[in-house]
Amino acid sequence: MKKLMSMFAVVLTLVLLVGCSMDDEASGKTEKEKGSNDKLKVGLSMNTLNNPFFVAVKEGAEAQAKERDVDIVVTDAQNDPGKQLADVENLLQQNIDILIIDPADSDAIAQAVKKANDSDIPVFTVDRQSNGGDVATHIGFDAIKSGNIAGNYMSETLGGKGNIVEIQGILGTNVGQLRSEGFNQIVEETPDFKIIARQSANFDRGEAMKVMEDILQANKEIDGVYAANDEMALGALAAIEAAGRVDEIVLIGCDAIDPSMDAIRAGKMNATIAEPPFFLGKEAIDTAIKISDGEDVEKEVILDSNLVTADNVDQIKTK
Amino acid sequence: MEQAVLEMVGISKEFPGVKALDGVSIHVKRSEILALLGENGAGKSTLMKVLAGVHQPSSGQIKINGKEVSIHGPKHSQELGISIIYQEFNLVPHMSVAENIFLGREPRLITGVIDRRRLRDETRQWLEKVGLTALSPDTLLANLSIAEQQLVEIAKALSFESNIIIMDEPTATLNEEETEKLLNIMRDLKKQGFGVIFITHRLEEVEEVADRISVLRDGKYIGSESIKNITRHQMVTMMVGRELTDLFPKLQGPYEEPALTVERLSVREYLHDINFTIKKGEILGIAGLMGSGKTPLSKALFGLYPHKEGTIKVGGKTVNTPREAIDAGIALVTDDRKDEGLVLGMSVYENLLLPSYRRISSFGVLHKRNKEKIVDRWIKALNIKVHHSSVEVGTLSGGNQQKVVLGKWLQMDPDVLILNEPTRGIDIGAKAEIYQIMKELAEQGIAIILISSDMPELLGLSHRILVMSEGTITAELDKEHFDQETIFQYAAGGELHV
Amino acid sequence: MSNDVTVSKQEKKQSLNKIDWLSFLEKYRVVLIFFLLCIVAGFLSDAFFTTSNIMNVLRQVSIIAIIATGMTLVILIAGIDLSVGAVMAFSGAILAGVLTAGLPLWVAILASTVVGLLFGLVNGVIVSNFGVPSFIATLAIMVIARGMTLVYTKGYPLVVSNEAFRFIGSGRIFGIPVPIIIMFVIIGLMFWILRYTSFGRYIYAIGGNEEAAILAGIRVRSIKVAVFGIAGFLSAISAIIYTSRLMSAQPTAGTGIELDAIAAVIIGGTSLAGGKGGVIGTLIGALIMGVLDNLLNLMNVSPFYQNIAKGLVILIAVLIDSRFSKLKRS
Repeated sequence: MKKLMSMFAVVLTLVLLVGCSMDDEASGKTEKEKGSNDKLKVGLSMNTLNNPFFVAVKEGAEAQAKERDVDIVVTDAQNDPGKQLADVENLLQQNIDILIIDPADSDAIAQAVKKANDSDIPVFTVDRQSNGGDVATHIGFDAIKSGNIAGNYMSETLGGKGNIVEIQGILGTNVGQLRSEGFNQIVEETPDFKIIARQSANFDRGEAMKVMEDILQANKEIDGVYAANDEMALGALAAIEAAGRVDEIVLIGCDAIDPSMDAIRAGKMNATIAEPPFFLGKEAIDTAIKISDGEDVEKEVILDSNLVTADNVDQIKTK
Repeated sequence: MEQAVLEMVGISKEFPGVKALDGVSIHVKRSEILALLGENGAGKSTLMKVLAGVHQPSSGQIKINGKEVSIHGPKHSQELGISIIYQEFNLVPHMSVAENIFLGREPRLITGVIDRRRLRDETRQWLEKVGLTALSPDTLLANLSIAEQQLVEIAKALSFESNIIIMDEPTATLNEEETEKLLNIMRDLKKQGFGVIFITHRLEEVEEVADRISVLRDGKYIGSESIKNITRHQMVTMMVGRELTDLFPKLQGPYEEPALTVERLSVREYLHDINFTIKKGEILGIAGLMGSGKTPLSKALFGLYPHKEGTIKVGGKTVNTPREAIDAGIALVTDDRKDEGLVLGMSVYENLLLPSYRRISSFGVLHKRNKEKIVDRWIKALNIKVHHSSVEVGTLSGGNQQKVVLGKWLQMDPDVLILNEPTRGIDIGAKAEIYQIMKELAEQGIAIILISSDMPELLGLSHRILVMSEGTITAELDKEHFDQETIFQYAAGGELHV
Repeated sequence: MSNDVTVSKQEKKQSLNKIDWLSFLEKYRVVLIFFLLCIVAGFLSDAFFTTSNIMNVLRQVSIIAIIATGMTLVILIAGIDLSVGAVMAFSGAILAGVLTAGLPLWVAILASTVVGLLFGLVNGVIVSNFGVPSFIATLAIMVIARGMTLVYTKGYPLVVSNEAFRFIGSGRIFGIPVPIIIMFVIIGLMFWILRYTSFGRYIYAIGGNEEAAILAGIRVRSIKVAVFGIAGFLSAISAIIYTSRLMSAQPTAGTGIELDAIAAVIIGGTSLAGGKGGVIGTLIGALIMGVLDNLLNLMNVSPFYQNIAKGLVILIAVLIDSRFSKLKRS
């Protein structure tokens, strides 16, 4: 009995805690629902909000929604395709006019897309595509192209010759695989490039630092490092700095997040690829408005990826 | 009358719905061994818990050296000079002997830092008092035998410099020889002036060491008597509350047909070249000290050792795996009711049915009426004392638990029943019932292998006794030839001492 | 009573030699596995046995070893703490937040260690005073701490610019990286506490036989709370090193580190059932995993195969473990 009581107490505390943190969001939402039945209501199902890139997508969408007076409801699937399906179902219950999905998994999301099709809610994907169902459009970056840009810059800077390290992202994701594919297309065209290490660090800064430390131990001559996102590039940079080898190594990242822009200004990093997630979020809201106004949208919208170096770092806008 | 070191007067203890103790009065004097007797559930454990400060009595007085006290908790009880050695040891397996003895009150160098040298020296002193002179205080407790652990418990009790020592069934897990040693230590404690309360089911031990007995039954105080003025039979009558005429029922002779034949059975490190045959309707006793191979033998017969050599045959079938053993009609009742025999959290009903689910279901569906029939039959046949079959087994007394285990296996209609310590920790009334059941089973033609360290039980029930030592059979004794002395000598190494 | 030598005792003496030999192996088998792994690593990679690489491995191991030290204590009392990784992330975020707010370094360090300690104490109170199984209690706290980290950081890494702070993760004293020194100090201290103080011995007593500990008048509850508190505190220490090494607090820091820590503890020979084991084994366990990671990276083994190799080594270590305990029993 005592055990039961204490279990109950714990559960109660948990409920209260969760309840408190959800309070302001929930009350805010009902207010909006009351005040504006004529306003466009957009559902945004994010694959995760545990990663700065996707947080920026969300923030871009929220900023643009405010700007253009659109209601937005965001869910976080925590990288779990199953949870994302449930999220979509919940969104569909909330009388949204249009649904935007950033899929956790391109295959699994097809079910969710079909659910939206069944309830006649227009749906489109951002960043990653859906392998099934009818989507109005897809907005994203060309990850292969991004890899190409990185490869070309590496080749130009090093004069087509050198020992190269590649730090890959999560190998189970499209972005991770395609960026690597794009980068390696150029490496293969460059006969004097030698890949001396190719490791995954799961898009994580801490892991990249560890991997890079080991690679630095094993290789006395490293000319270039390509990391598939800036988080990993910054992790690699921490290791390279600690080893005092910043000047020998050309370091390229991807995503153009603020700290890496700073690193480029400081001359510690050579380049990154601007695929500003913030713009992706903005573009998604603009597209949603177009669709609801009955305008035609292209089947696929590819946003520009731009090389960022010390030369143009102050001109590039990421927000 | 000399003043008692401990006196409990009119102690009552009520739990919601149960009166566990009802006006119990006992006392023990300096240099006296009091045997506290009673069947399981008579209230002995509750009384001890009152002394330990775990339970507060609802009414009554406790006096120590004539001064009334109230005991707040285990630590306070110790401070008052009471040391209790529980049935289940309160020792920590992966700590040293010294640390166990001084757990909670280690000598300190400064606050929080243990003085290991003093710890060791003081431990040695207490170990000597219980005859463990050769034991290093740094030995890990887990590396000691049960008997040695028991002695460490006693050393721990002595180290509290208490004057009252209570032992709750200290001999239950000991073999004959170890028991003898323990009884000697008790005599020694008595000589040193301790008041000792000794709780046991073994009346012959009581006769050997106790000065006086006090008997409890159903939470009530029945009486007290000097050991000189009472016979074993009278003690039993006081405990059970009725005349128990024949503890050991008269056996009929076994049938002629063999039930089980063992040839050249060996299991590495445990058993060496075992040969014997048991006839239908025969009760074959197995005697031996701890570690003599009795338990491994029971396991080997049940096919639990995959790497054995030699053959085990039951009615033409050979047995190599537990499944084959069950199919051949062998049932094994282990000595460990709690761990191997029963699912304590499940009901009597479910426990009884567990092994026969396979037989009474059709296509996996159980027939309710069949189930109830089976359960009722065994509860009746074995006289399991339970008000409803949905009661959790864990709440039953040891004797009734053992009957459930028996019932579980008897439903399989076994031809050979292996019983390992079937009456350990069971009170005398339940023992008598189990003996009666065994006798009836034997008369039905079931061969029973009885492994026991309870000597009177072996002598009273067996047609024949095999004595084991170091994994071999050192003697085979017929009813005309066995007595305690002979068995003990063979068990101790196979040669007769001069 | 004087008649001490019994038959069973003589038997025991004869088999004593064998048991001694086995218990020697049992006690030091992790060390053997570790040396074996190092020798293999030396053959496979020239870069392995260099001073700089050894420092490198030790520095990488320091974070997990410190967390695993706290985990050892928790497992010794037959508990488990799943919240260490999440607490590490939150303590790191607090540290970075306080530094960014412009407060002095010592305030930031104090704040993050206090936060770690508090989380640990909350775990302890829920487990010991409310009787909630530690697996569930710490799971709940883990989820809460992760959520609080995301709320606090809004999902972005918090960058730290305090240059003095860099010393903790990247500095050296007499040529030895500071994280390694911190690791050895902590493990040394815990070793001493477990062995020579009553608090340490009570931890073993509680894990080995809680009933006995209660009857010996030990304040079991308080000790349990303290043990979880230490685990939380050490998570914060790891967070300080981790944050300093990256000069930023990651919202995802320490994801899955609780499992690595548990693996290190178990490989190091501490029993999940409690009451048996110690921090030196845990250090070796963490080193085995660290060396393996390092070796696979040095050899540029494909990341696809790295996980399989790691899983296999853990399995082998644990199998050897159960093999030995079986041998010893017989």
